[in-house]
Amino acid sequence: MSSNRARRIQKEIADIKQDNLSQIIVDIAGAGDDFSHLRGQFKGPPDTPYEGGVFYVDIRMPAEYPFRPPIMKFDTKIWHPNVSSQTGAICLDTLSSQWSPVLTIKSALISLQSLLSTPEPKDPQDAEVAGMLLKNPAEFEHVARDWSVKYAGAPKRERGEGSGGATAETIKQKAAMQKQNEEKAKLAAYHGYNKDLIDRFVAMGFDVEGVVGAFEYVGIDKMGGEDYELEEAYMGDITARLFNEA
Amino acid sequence: MKVVIKQWNAVAAWRWDMPDDDVCGICRNPYDSTCSKCKFPGDECPLLLGECNHSFHMHCIFSWLRQESSQEKCPMCRQPFKSKAQDATGEAPEPDNDSALPT
Repeated sequence: MSSNRARRIQKEIADIKQDNLSQIIVDIAGAGDDFSHLRGQFKGPPDTPYEGGVFYVDIRMPAEYPFRPPIMKFDTKIWHPNVSSQTGAICLDTLSSQWSPVLTIKSALISLQSLLSTPEPKDPQDAEVAGMLLKNPAEFEHVARDWSVKYAGAPKRERGEGSGGATAETIKQKAAMQKQNEEKAKLAAYHGYNKDLIDRFVAMGFDVEGVVGAFEYVGIDKMGGEDYELEEAYMGDITARLFNEA
Repeated sequence: MKVVIKQWNAVAAWRWDMPDDDVCGICRNPYDSTCSKCKFPGDECPLLLGECNHSFHMHCIFSWLRQESSQEKCPMCRQPFKSKAQDATGEAPEPDNDSALPT
């Protein structure tokens, strides 16, 4: 049984070595020819926070392979909702209930690579990461990128660069667009109130959300987004509300 | 001129009458070779064609169908695997016929 398994695994490794296109590498993890413990590696897919990183995967081949799936986990720390940020354990159906003996080590690694492009926060392995992706995608992207640089050797430069299509011009455009979006997101937090008007309260040490909430609670006129002097009575109501809240 | 044949050796080759695909998806050995457990190709280690038109070494597909996780589905297309009755190979054995399984 085990020698048959070794033969198929050997064949698969030879097949992966011949294929330069997929840029997937698999080797025996230990010394000698123990085909039950392998190590795979692949590159982070382009246009994701993982771009430019190299991710190592620990692969254990069960005795019943290929009738049971290879047991895979990330050796490289990665910030992804379907991978445990602590242990590297992976939640992917083709590696558990949906495994089929016609799948291979290579196809499994390609599935992992594509999992990096299509995170599925609704079926998480790491609830903290999934929560962040759902509530604050920008922060998620930032941390995922940070981890790719720190643990997967991704270059620190702007992503997109070096992936072929991107030029300095498109990167600049991307950055400008990102800035614009950030501005928009910031302005959206003001709910149509004039920014300076709100900021005078923010300067007292409250956050934008709280001030806008207080304005809405008291029922302050938006005046079409114009800046104006508030009547003292309203000022009192707003500060009272803010202090009660705080 | 007359030629007298004193002796001759007949040599024959055989192959399964199979469509394009050349290896069994489960053991990755050629169809004309054996499954990973058998030593001699041919009738001892036949192929089995499913109703979905996917074929495997009979021993390979039985090993899979015996797994609970297979849910008795074809490894290729995940349709319920049923062997297709073939005239050429006679009666296709049923997967639950244990006597047909290798030990």
